[in-house]
Amino acid sequence: MRVFLDLLWYFRRKKWRYIAAVSTLVLVALLNLIPPQIVGLVMDALQRKDLTVGHLVQWVGLILFVALSTYLLRYLWRWLLFGAALELSTILRTQLFAHFTKMSPQFYQTKRVGDLMAHATNDISAVEQTAMDGILTLVDSLTTGAVVVVTMISTISPTLTFVALLPMPIMAYATSRYGKMLHYRFDKAQAAFSDLNDRVQENISGMKVIKAFGQEEVEIENFISLSNDVVAKNYSVAKIDSLFDPTIQIIVGFSYFLSIVVGGYDVAHRQLSIGSLTTFSMYLGQLIWPMLAFGWLFNIVERGHASYDRIRTLLDMQEDISDREAALAVSLHGDISVHIAEFSYQPNLPARLQELSFTVKQGQTLGIVGRTGSGKTTLLRLFLREFDVAKGDIRIGEYSIYDVQKSSLRQAIAYVPQDHFLFSATVAQNIAFANTQATQAQIADAARIAAIHEDILRFAMGYETVVGERGVTLSGGQKQRISIARALLLDAEILILDDSLSAVDAKTEVHILDELRDRRRGQTTLISAHRLSAVEHADLIIVLDEGRIAESGTHGDLMRFDGLYADMYRSQQLEDLVEQGGVRA
Amino acid sequence: MMDMDNVRVVPIEGAVLLRMLGYIRPHARTLMLALILLILATGANVLGPILIKVFIDRYLVPRQFLYTPLVELAATYLGLQVATAVFNLIQLVLFQKVALQIIQQLRIDVFAKVQRLGLSFFDRTPSGMLVSRITNDTESIKDMYVSVLSTFVQNIVLLIGIYVSMFFLNFQLALFCVVIAPIIIGIMALYRHFSSPIFHLARHRLSLLNAKLSEALQGMYIIQAMRQEPRMQAEFGEINQAYRSARMRNITFNSLLLRPLVDALYLVALILVLGFFGLQSLVQRVDLGVLYAFVSYLDQFFEPVNQMMFRLNSFQQAMVSSHRVFQLLDEDDLAPVQEGENHSHIAHGEICFENVSFSYDGKTDVLKNISFYVKQGQMVALVGHTGSGKSSTANLLMRFYAVNHGRITIDGIDLRQFANAELRKKIGLVLQDPFVFVGDIYSNIQLGNTEITENEIVAAAQFVQADTYISKLAHGYHESLGERGSTLSSGQRQLLAFARTMARNPKILVLDEATASVDAETEEAIQKALMRMRQGRTTIAIAHRLSTIQDANIILVLHHGEVIERGTHQELLAKEGLYYKMCLFQQSGRV
Repeated sequence: MRVFLDLLWYFRRKKWRYIAAVSTLVLVALLNLIPPQIVGLVMDALQRKDLTVGHLVQWVGLILFVALSTYLLRYLWRWLLFGAALELSTILRTQLFAHFTKMSPQFYQTKRVGDLMAHATNDISAVEQTAMDGILTLVDSLTTGAVVVVTMISTISPTLTFVALLPMPIMAYATSRYGKMLHYRFDKAQAAFSDLNDRVQENISGMKVIKAFGQEEVEIENFISLSNDVVAKNYSVAKIDSLFDPTIQIIVGFSYFLSIVVGGYDVAHRQLSIGSLTTFSMYLGQLIWPMLAFGWLFNIVERGHASYDRIRTLLDMQEDISDREAALAVSLHGDISVHIAEFSYQPNLPARLQELSFTVKQGQTLGIVGRTGSGKTTLLRLFLREFDVAKGDIRIGEYSIYDVQKSSLRQAIAYVPQDHFLFSATVAQNIAFANTQATQAQIADAARIAAIHEDILRFAMGYETVVGERGVTLSGGQKQRISIARALLLDAEILILDDSLSAVDAKTEVHILDELRDRRRGQTTLISAHRLSAVEHADLIIVLDEGRIAESGTHGDLMRFDGLYADMYRSQQLEDLVEQGGVRA
Repeated sequence: MMDMDNVRVVPIEGAVLLRMLGYIRPHARTLMLALILLILATGANVLGPILIKVFIDRYLVPRQFLYTPLVELAATYLGLQVATAVFNLIQLVLFQKVALQIIQQLRIDVFAKVQRLGLSFFDRTPSGMLVSRITNDTESIKDMYVSVLSTFVQNIVLLIGIYVSMFFLNFQLALFCVVIAPIIIGIMALYRHFSSPIFHLARHRLSLLNAKLSEALQGMYIIQAMRQEPRMQAEFGEINQAYRSARMRNITFNSLLLRPLVDALYLVALILVLGFFGLQSLVQRVDLGVLYAFVSYLDQFFEPVNQMMFRLNSFQQAMVSSHRVFQLLDEDDLAPVQEGENHSHIAHGEICFENVSFSYDGKTDVLKNISFYVKQGQMVALVGHTGSGKSSTANLLMRFYAVNHGRITIDGIDLRQFANAELRKKIGLVLQDPFVFVGDIYSNIQLGNTEITENEIVAAAQFVQADTYISKLAHGYHESLGERGSTLSSGQRQLLAFARTMARNPKILVLDEATASVDAETEEAIQKALMRMRQGRTTIAIAHRLSTIQDANIILVLHHGEVIERGTHQELLAKEGLYYKMCLFQQSGRV
């Protein structure tokens, strides 16, 4: 029940709503006491044979009143209580999302998207259930239970009540116990189902190998045996599930039996009327649900508690990259100077960058080249403060990037990442991602610079074409150019292209680079590339090798130096030749 | 908000329903038994109030307490209670069992169907979708069977039982109570009409919410780099609120039309019964016991109604799923199979491509007029840049796809005349990406082919010299490999794939050479292994590293699906064409 304490902040916030809901529930319980009494009165009058039409109309009218008023009140408490629970889950979801937006790439490297999704969906819905069904069963069991029992004792007979209720605790115990067993077996069934799911996943991914070795039949056999397991586990769930109704029925039946036997005895001794006995058994019927629900309550609450804990743990995580105290809100511009003694992703991991020191003048272009894993991307990500350097500093103009607000820093930088991620929205919306106010002309202009305008016009819906899972499939090169356009629309002081021209052909690359040089006069550009043609015209090229600067200079310098860069250059020229079928384009 | 409310409620289609019900046929006997038990249980159940009626009218009101009949009555009552419980328990279990078995059959059918589909189907179908058809969709169909078999059948039988008892007790009043039935059906229709669209709207918005969340989590670095956190929060908030409002409307309709209304209806029925007895009592004597029995029947009558209404929506969801599953079952893009009844065997492994053209999409040819001939035991090498058609050539020989024009023969017999099993047995494909299955080394080499003995497996591993590293593993051949073999290096995975092929001792080898860089030592082991594997086998090698194919009997240089050069290594070098340039490039690339 501790989860109710955990959620107290919310119940307090919605104090009046909850008070109203609980009062309504109590009122419904009280109104429900009336019809059985009337049935008793009618029966007694029938037995005495003194029923008049007037009485009958009055009594029946009273039931009609109860029917109408409970209908409205039941609607009302549902609206109050379920509405409050929905709002709670909506709030939690909002909090969680806001929290996710604050977490750094470090966080996303250690957590799987699937797990985070599970917290935001399953766990929140378990908490919602606690605030919904949990509160309902708690209040309803207690109020209905108490009101009905008190009425049975006071208006009919304490002994009869006691005897008839004897089997009821067994029912609460049974439902709680079955619930627990069901939960346990259900988890196993889920696990079996998830094994099956993994197996199918593997089968589909490995389809080519399976076909190559003609293993389709074996796969089907394996699938059958796994799905047998799923059936067996589900069957064991079904067995428990099937126990519920018969158990309840036999206990309730026994309870009715006791009430008729003991009540019949009282009637025989003229201590009770037949009408009261009928009233009594109707009350007994009203007690079934609260008893049953009380058993369930424990399970709901237990699950809600575990889920709420997981959500809290997540929300309590500190953002690992935050603004320093007194961080400045400034507009950054000027020369970039980098001095990094050492950087590693985590303190105990080997250094990814070492003794890196260089300066890029405002308005210049820096080229970063090197083999896969030499540290190009790592270096670029440091500019955005996706990770912080412990030993060293990066300065833009007169400020260290660590002394200004993250938001100021990111405002100064337009970033085109290596893996071009697009959102499932229209092409125009994707290009205008960082500047939703952009006009169609501005969007088209950015697209032209990125050499994607013509492609977009060829799509069926032009700029309104939806991309991503629900839309058209774009080629890698098209995605790359759209993400370049997206960054260009920012017109930022510093543009970072992280191997962003790898999937476009040589001609397009030249076009984009020319346009950039033209349009970004006075602004700084950092380009990392596999293909050296992308950095050939840079003002400064640094060649990274295992996190250190191996060579640096202009293209001319490096070719004269005849080292790593010159080797890479020559080999790529040949490669281009081969790609083109051996003839110079 | 873009297409947020674009939901279509799929109607319950007779054809789909009928096809679903077809799966019931093999279980007709069990279902019959379950149904009989259900009827027995329901009969025993509805007899209870009648016995109490007998007790009230015959003994309690006249105050005649006879020991023996009363004990008999009590014993019968308790006996019926126990019988009801036992019969119910058995029939519930039986119904659920049948539902589970039906779903299993459906699942196996879908899975088996997928196994028989051609690779071209997999090329154009996202794997996530396929997995979801086989598992999640069938799971939601299960809900339908459970709700149909458990909820609807059970409750309808119970309602019928109650009506029968009512007619038995008082024909006239029972006739009045029949009025309730159309009212309930009316409420159900009303509910379906108003609530289904909202229910589906809520589900649809939930999937939008999840999509938004998962997209934001994956693209968070972009959102942060471009400072769009506030906007994303606002957009998420909007969907979140939209979801909430749909759920709220759903709750509103549920509250207006489900339990509260049904409960009110119960009180109206009670008024009907009381009014009937009250008015009748003015003109004739009434039995109190009958009134008691009617009141207790009314108590039981409305819970089944509640449950059935509650299940209506999951029923609808299952219809959507069945629709999708049947679509997959009806898919006709099957893998190519043997044509004719010949029991041809591959005895030598002589391969001939005669003017073969091929296209994946029917528009652009990826192979144009390819012809070549390889004698038994010889080696042909295919070289060319990415997309030149090398892998497509191998795919055609494996008969993963059907040739569009021209033909391929092995030992002079058209490829189409071989049984797939024969092709798979005699042609060994070694893939670029050696797919490792969850399991141990042993099972990964055996791949479920129980004809391959443990000795043969070890021999195959030794032959390709994978044995060296396998014997160093803690559990040797029984070392379990993680997902996708992540515990092995790429070179080790490659050797494992070699052993897998060699264990089957094929006549023809198709090697899709790995491009992944491995350390020099493993590289050497791989080359040695390849050398040994090729001995005495016809080999088609797709080569990225030209150094590995210098001794090929014939080298085909492919460019945009055409053979532009052919000859031996020396001949091609002498030509100083594309092959020559590729060699130069590769030598320089190895600095």
